[in-house]
Amino acid sequence: MDAKQLSDGLATRFPGKILGVDPLDGTLGRIRFDPAVATDLFRSLRDDYQFTHLTLVGATDWIDHREVFYVLWSDTDRLYLVLSANLPTDAPVIASSVPIWPSANAHEREAWDLVGVKFEGHPDLRRIFMPEGYAYHPLLRSFKIHEPEDLEVKVRSD
Amino acid sequence: MSGQAPEVPRPAVRPQTDASPAGDLPLAVIGQPGVPFVEIETLRAREFIPAAKEALSSLLKEQAQGKLIRPVFNWAGRNSLFPLHWGLACCAIEFAAAFGARWDAERFGVVPRSSPRQCDLLIVNGTVTWKVAHKLIALYEQMPEPKWAIAMGNCATGGGPFRTAYSVVPGVDKLIPVDVYIAGCPPRPENMLDGILRLEQLIKERGE
Ligand code: SF4
Repeated sequence: MDAKQLSDGLATRFPGKILGVDPLDGTLGRIRFDPAVATDLFRSLRDDYQFTHLTLVGATDWIDHREVFYVLWSDTDRLYLVLSANLPTDAPVIASSVPIWPSANAHEREAWDLVGVKFEGHPDLRRIFMPEGYAYHPLLRSFKIHEPEDLEVKVRSD
Repeated sequence: MSGQAPEVPRPAVRPQTDASPAGDLPLAVIGQPGVPFVEIETLRAREFIPAAKEALSSLLKEQAQGKLIRPVFNWAGRNSLFPLHWGLACCAIEFAAAFGARWDAERFGVVPRSSPRQCDLLIVNGTVTWKVAHKLIALYEQMPEPKWAIAMGNCATGGGPFRTAYSVVPGVDKLIPVDVYIAGCPPRPENMLDGILRLEQLIKERGE
């Protein structure tokens, strides 16, 4: 399988929802997709293209939008594939990939905790590195480095 | 020529004293009211056991009369500080080294214990994050009174190199009362021992 085959196959399945394929070193390529088809695209990649393993989910704040990216691994073809979707800053919401790849669980919690991307359908979307009650998503660009005394944190007592 | 090894001079055996070791020991004055408590650091190991026996029995007598002697507990407490065996970050390596063979903190009666319920000293040896903060408080609250806390290293003292980080508590005195701060990143084991000895001094002065 090469990138052309894959992108053509996906483009016929999801017309107008595959926004582009960029070459990316060490992988099959980077597919930019419309977040509206996330769940169907994930299922199709797992069942029809044998991307059975999700290596990581991450997110970045690009100020005017936020990007979510997924790194997939195919055991049959021994290839990586990168997916990426742009989300609007005012509503950074995308469907969760946990029902398709359970290994996404902790990664999506991390992306929610640090970059504030909401994954709809995640079974347990809690903070993972910061305590419950922490008021910020600290890897957002709008988070300024404080004098630590300005930080408002509630510490629960057991 | 002879097959015999040359005679090696041996050190003379220290003569045993016949005098009763408990005779003029400072510990004997513990039970007397109004007499200030005297250090027993001058005792030799051989003299210690009878002296301690005597001190204990006079203590028990006092206790039976309803007169507990605070200095004794102060002395016993400050010379057997049990810190919690809790490593947080890189400083915990130096904490561990201080209890190894080279620095041997145990000669000061400092023995790390694994349960906070057996401890009276909390040495915060590393970076405390907001995530772990409530556990630090819980551990401190589980320790029986009287208890003390040492902030070891720059991180525990004021956040250290991570002071402006979003995830690090800028000093554990935001969470628990701290008695002694030890500077350094990490402090050497000597510094740590110095801190513990200073805490002992402090406990003595406060008469806790
Ligand atoms: S003070 Fe330095 S050595 Fe100690 S925990 Fe902090 S960074 Fe590590």
